[in-house]
Amino acid sequence: MTALTTPAPPREDASLRPVPWQRMGWVTWRQHRVTLAGVAALLGALAVLLWIVGLHVHQAYSAAAACRPTSSAICDDMFGNFSVMDGFLANGFLLQALPALIGVFVGAPLLAREMETGTFRYAWTQGIGRLRWALAKLVLLAISVTVASGLFSLVTTWYYQPYFAASNPVPQPPLAPTLFDLRGVAFPAWTLAAFAIGALAGMLIRRVVPAIAATLAVYTGLVFAAGGFLRAHYLTPVLTSSLNVPGTAWIASQWWTVTRSGQFAWAGRPPMSVLGNITCPNSGPPNGKPTMVSIEQCVVQHGYTQWTSYQPTTRFWPFQWIEGGWLLVLSVLLIAVTVWLVRRRAA
Amino acid sequence: MTALSMSARPEEDTSLRPVPWRRMGWVTWRQHRVTLAGVVVFLGALMVFLWLAGRQLHSAYAAAIAACHPANPLTCPNMVNAFNGTNDYLANGGILQAVPVLIGAFAGAPVLARELETGTFRYAWTQGFGRWRWALAKLVLLAVVLAAVAGVFSLLLSWYYQPYFAEGNQAVSLTELTPFFTGLFNLRGIGFAAWTLAAFAIGALAGMLIRRVVPAIAATLIVYAGLAFAVGGWLRQAYMTPVVTSGLNVPGSAWIVSQWWTKGGRFAFSGFPPGRLLERLCPAGPPVPVGPGHGQKAAGLAECLTQHGYTQWTSYQPASRFWLFQWIEGSGLLVLSVLLIAVTVWLVRRRAA
Repeated sequence: MTALTTPAPPREDASLRPVPWQRMGWVTWRQHRVTLAGVAALLGALAVLLWIVGLHVHQAYSAAAACRPTSSAICDDMFGNFSVMDGFLANGFLLQALPALIGVFVGAPLLAREMETGTFRYAWTQGIGRLRWALAKLVLLAISVTVASGLFSLVTTWYYQPYFAASNPVPQPPLAPTLFDLRGVAFPAWTLAAFAIGALAGMLIRRVVPAIAATLAVYTGLVFAAGGFLRAHYLTPVLTSSLNVPGTAWIASQWWTVTRSGQFAWAGRPPMSVLGNITCPNSGPPNGKPTMVSIEQCVVQHGYTQWTSYQPTTRFWPFQWIEGGWLLVLSVLLIAVTVWLVRRRAA
Repeated sequence: MTALSMSARPEEDTSLRPVPWRRMGWVTWRQHRVTLAGVVVFLGALMVFLWLAGRQLHSAYAAAIAACHPANPLTCPNMVNAFNGTNDYLANGGILQAVPVLIGAFAGAPVLARELETGTFRYAWTQGFGRWRWALAKLVLLAVVLAAVAGVFSLLLSWYYQPYFAEGNQAVSLTELTPFFTGLFNLRGIGFAAWTLAAFAIGALAGMLIRRVVPAIAATLIVYAGLAFAVGGWLRQAYMTPVVTSGLNVPGSAWIVSQWWTKGGRFAFSGFPPGRLLERLCPAGPPVPVGPGHGQKAAGLAECLTQHGYTQWTSYQPASRFWLFQWIEGSGLLVLSVLLIAVTVWLVRRRAA
């Protein structure tokens, strides 16, 4: 028999070289520096805008808050002047788009572009391995966008302060949907979630523009679901039969019962059929409009009890951490699934 | 010498064939049917949603009007509050403002950018049809289709927002907006279709200039947002010379452009009175009973200053100019869109193949 001799592989090759994690930082920066610079420029420009407008808003607010005696016509006018100052920013709709935009433009093309243009054939066959390649890029970019939006959230938190101040005659409920997720830790958490959604959508769809559209749709759905349904259930709401619910409380639901029997009567506002059958001679000031409270007092006088379940303002920070926490878990899960898909895909 | 003989070209080839414009319709449909279907599905879903939300809003409005004319002291405030709180996330138009720019970015930006990015333009532009006719046919067809779809959609928007603009709302504390309200002006009438068309044209030009899809989408979003802010914040109020009045009773439906004060014929200050002046002249003036409308409250302050010899000047756009402004804005955007598409086609023609 002929002995076949093969040279033994040299020692060095058998042992894996240390994973060059550090170099992945450089690769990630090179590939995404334009995107990251765009994000920084967008957030920076908006921060400057918020700062300039915010100075005016804060000034107008402190002028109104210093006005004495409170609730005189002049002071009302000054608060009116404050509340119409920045109509386009006050309701927070514009800034709601920011996390989605960052997720769409940083997250969705991350893998979709490599797949669409075919460059993944080169990138994924490098020594580091495609799993680590995807993981390193995803984690590095996720941390970068989260930190950037965390810094931006400091500016928005400062900007919206007057709307929640205790001396404001019409304070906003801090838990109400459109401003809650622009402040505190929720804003960076939503940005991270948008990024993770974008990355997974890109990996699943493998084409950039459809992935961008899908990210927008999924993110919008998640925001609506969280603001409209989930957030109200983070903690068991406080239940009261008092009519004096603080104005800043976030009311989850209201319903009425018959006081004597405790039976459920109706949900929400008193229906016309009830209001038509009761009379309250002294509801409201003479020759003036009766206020909402007086109507409710009137209905209470007729043997009904109003129940209000609400989230008190003091739960703002617990809610922020709860929302930040589940969004972080969701994002980590989405990124893990994305990396798993990269690993599983036949090269 | 050897005689080289070449066969003469057949006569048919020297005369140009008629341009097959009609086939471009088929090509455009084949290439963009997914996008167009996406736009139709998106707008269709929004229409269903708006239809359901709008029926709620309209029935809440009808209930409020029924309860307040004549005023029932018990049910009227209840129904008014119910109406003012209905769909408050749609009331200022914030979310729907994104619809035209999304259509423009997703339908307009990739038309040329995708061909240039993937290299398919080498095939497409060397067809017998000619590259600039190719670009022109696709852009015009898509622009017309998208503007038409947006126009149909805006009929529903106009219907949805009707209750907010009814006269006499303010008298019973119902939300009443000036028809020029910045967040809603371009969602109603012909404004919505015109803005969608402009977004599409911006997207197409951005795609031709940048030649990469994702940066072109980003640029479209930025340019459109800048244009919308410039028009809403500065340009629109200058379409026609505003009416100037020194009366304190400016109609609630008017769009107030600016307010300033004079004393003895000389300019005193603009906008809201400075705090120091108020402290000196109207130190915490008499507490006026708080009326239902904002106009009455403002009058309290203005009357106090008027008694001290100040005159308030208001320049405003009356509500009767709504349709005039709609046509001015619509035709301005149409001209802009045609220009942008023309520049895009010119760039396609000029570009070295």
